[in-house]
Amino acid sequence: MSLIINGAEYELASPPLTSLLNVLREEVGLLSPKAGCQQGGCGTCTVLIDGEPRRACLTPLGAIEGAAITTVEGLGDPRNLSPVQAAFHEHYAAQCGFCTPGMMMAATGLLARRPDATRDDVLEALAGHFCRCTGYVKIVDAVLSAAAGRVDTTRPEPEAEPGEPSVVIPGSPA
Amino acid sequence: MSVAPLAEPEVLVPASEEEAIAAFGDGTGVTVLGGGTILMPELAAGRLKPEKTILLARAGLDEWRDEGGTTRIGAAVSVGALVDAPEPLASAARHVADYEVRSQGTLGGNLCAGPGRGFPRGDLQAPLIALDAYVRSAGAGGERTEPVERFLSTSPGNRLVVQVEFETRDRLGGWAALERPHAHSYTALSVAATISPSGSDLRVACSGAGPYAVRLRSVEQGGLDGDPGEALRDVQLTDDALASAWYRERMLPVLVGRVLSQLKEAG
Amino acid sequence: MKAVGARLPRYDGLQHVTGQSVYVDDVRVPDMLWAKALRSTVHSAEIKKLDVSKALRVPGVHAVVTHEDVPVNIVGHLAALGVPADEPLLAEHEVRYQGQPIAVVAAETEEIAQEAVNAIEISYEEREPFLDIRKAFDPDVPKVSPSGNLFVYEPYTERRVRKGDIDWAFEKADRIVQGVYRPAAIEHCPTETQVALVVPEATGRLVIYSCTQAMYFSMGVVATHLGVSLNDLKFVGGTVGGGFGGKVDTAAETISALLAIKAKRPVKWRWTREEEFLCSSVRATWHVEIADAVTKDGWILGRRTLTLHDAGAYTRFSSYGATKHAFHLGGAYTIPNLSFNAYVIWSNHVPTTAMRGFGVTSVSFAVELHMTRIATVLGIDPWELRLKNASRVGDTAPTRVVLKDPSAVPTIQAAAQAAGVELASEYRAMTNAPRKGKTLPRHLVDQLGAWRDNGGR
Repeated sequence: MSLIINGAEYELASPPLTSLLNVLREEVGLLSPKAGCQQGGCGTCTVLIDGEPRRACLTPLGAIEGAAITTVEGLGDPRNLSPVQAAFHEHYAAQCGFCTPGMMMAATGLLARRPDATRDDVLEALAGHFCRCTGYVKIVDAVLSAAAGRVDTTRPEPEAEPGEPSVVIPGSPA
Repeated sequence: MSVAPLAEPEVLVPASEEEAIAAFGDGTGVTVLGGGTILMPELAAGRLKPEKTILLARAGLDEWRDEGGTTRIGAAVSVGALVDAPEPLASAARHVADYEVRSQGTLGGNLCAGPGRGFPRGDLQAPLIALDAYVRSAGAGGERTEPVERFLSTSPGNRLVVQVEFETRDRLGGWAALERPHAHSYTALSVAATISPSGSDLRVACSGAGPYAVRLRSVEQGGLDGDPGEALRDVQLTDDALASAWYRERMLPVLVGRVLSQLKEAG
Repeated sequence: MKAVGARLPRYDGLQHVTGQSVYVDDVRVPDMLWAKALRSTVHSAEIKKLDVSKALRVPGVHAVVTHEDVPVNIVGHLAALGVPADEPLLAEHEVRYQGQPIAVVAAETEEIAQEAVNAIEISYEEREPFLDIRKAFDPDVPKVSPSGNLFVYEPYTERRVRKGDIDWAFEKADRIVQGVYRPAAIEHCPTETQVALVVPEATGRLVIYSCTQAMYFSMGVVATHLGVSLNDLKFVGGTVGGGFGGKVDTAAETISALLAIKAKRPVKWRWTREEEFLCSSVRATWHVEIADAVTKDGWILGRRTLTLHDAGAYTRFSSYGATKHAFHLGGAYTIPNLSFNAYVIWSNHVPTTAMRGFGVTSVSFAVELHMTRIATVLGIDPWELRLKNASRVGDTAPTRVVLKDPSAVPTIQAAAQAAGVELASEYRAMTNAPRKGKTLPRHLVDQLGAWRDNGGR
């Protein structure tokens, strides 16, 4: 079986019923897709298969012979982030980070098929992605920001800006 | 290395409908994998150890034709694509899982989905019954085309679904379900119905009140103004992981009522 | 205060968005084995027979551990706080909850390990389980532990808080307002399931990659179970895929360590999502009954509470959580006469544990609902009821701690503002300054005693 993973050709030895998730993590050594549930319920394993976001844990290798796979490792690196990656960093859309790879791949897939995605489009695309830390608001903001092109991908770190707290309680020492 | 199977199962990837039917034979010892959304979790959990598996990804069963007043949809068409089908199939498809899972799950896989450890999984079965759909399948005794209801009552696990067809008429469709947003789980209870524009032919079915979808003939007999509670005559409710019989008993008439209202408003 | 309110980049932000954060399941070592557990299928039973010999004969299996392999099987997580040890790492003669680990296998693949688990012979003599903590005081319910179902806070069977004269309050009250509040159990459901990887080194030291939220704590627990010194262990923590309190009482490290020692190979144990839901510890169910003695103009003269906390099959941190709970049952309000009783009850549920706000979120839930109930019963505005009773400088907490700067008043006012509620001018003007005049009814004078004696400081 062969796959094109992040632009490179791979010959794979895993049996055909091996999930793409296990192929990527165990045989190829790409660790960004995660094993959150192995039932297709959490979205942490999502990668792009021929540009479309799909659950790697639900995809048997034998069904995708020759397909082009994209993982987070193929989106960008610290010096050259993709707009989605830069937006997630800028908007604090990751806390523990475990859902982040799946979220970013789903978002990347969405923006490829719908460059001017609305908030409803984003919610629908991410509806199968489960985050226990952030409360989702910053993730949605990040994706919308990437869609609107409001992201600076050349600046790897947001700059520290001293600020005013947004709610001041009278008598508070802040 | 981690998850290598102990004994290598035979895996076939047929390249045409004919090859798929030949590989399936009479179905003995064969596991058919459409999108994988229902079967792969079973493999991962070790609950399913297939001997011979047929992957339908390349068998060309993904054609969709509307011609001569009949719509024919291949078994490997994704659930996601069905959001463009006539109602109530479209609404049911739209509510299956999320974009990624329904883009991968197939019409045939969902149609054949039996209860998983007690809870029903074939969310599309009720809309197909409501549409008076027919199933073309292969297996022991050769190919046959039969109404969905009959297909479901004669062990769908033993047949290879090739295609589903229904007449593309001006029927009105209605659909209502117990919705749990973001639950990504199978639907605990849903009701699907269609009615002819003249109002003379009402077809109603329900998913989630039994291992497979059931036709609600008592509701059909009552017509659009009938008592939705009659639906309870047609079902035997049990507790399962998705909902209790108690809850379904209270909600089924509500869902039936909603669907009948939808049809009345549309008519 | 330049950092507060400033937009600083997350130190781990770049690694998160480039897929480079390393979680325990991402650590790769050569010759690693996988673990799977045999877990109790019943709520409560005697183990009549346990035979792992068939599991050992499955090709590809390198080790099986049971309680016999654990140097110190019963270790109290809160021994340092004087909470007696009661939980076996691996079940001995009985199981007290469905999902309790009995034996664990290490093998070449997860599939082989599971096949070996399936080959273990076990038979249970089932006992009637105790599952409804409201029945804890009935005489004929099954006993979860030999001493019964109530944890003992020496010398009482409950955590008690007493202050003032509760009988006076209930006699003097215009109304008694009662309520029962039952926040449900919650599963932490972290996106990363429990996982541990243990690598034995040639020197005998164990390197333990852990998803624990509490490295030093877990290190101590593992060292005690294994009977080794802390410097025989090297814990490697790092990015945890969500914990929320559920990855503090981890046992995966200890069990994986025992397997690694026996197999002389690295062992990884990665829980399935099913195990995470069914067998990992949860936030407990609480049952909170409140009876407040109130005046018709909305002063709370006294409060009685009864709390039942479902600890599940073993104590873990429950006694600590229930203590915190009890101390906070006044809420953000000053109530001079109190009688709180909080019971920690063992049941045949999965042992419960900490989860964000451990012990106190149940207070917030119960007390705030109760305040609204009081307002409804008395026909008083719920905001005004709260502001009236809200703690001020110099008031004492249920534990008699003098409050130096309670933020109850400004917080309630800010909440009203955020909710678009217009407060009456008297209430808008309130501050947390020491009580006087209208905010100091007679019955609140004495509880200011400690503050006044100290010259109003």
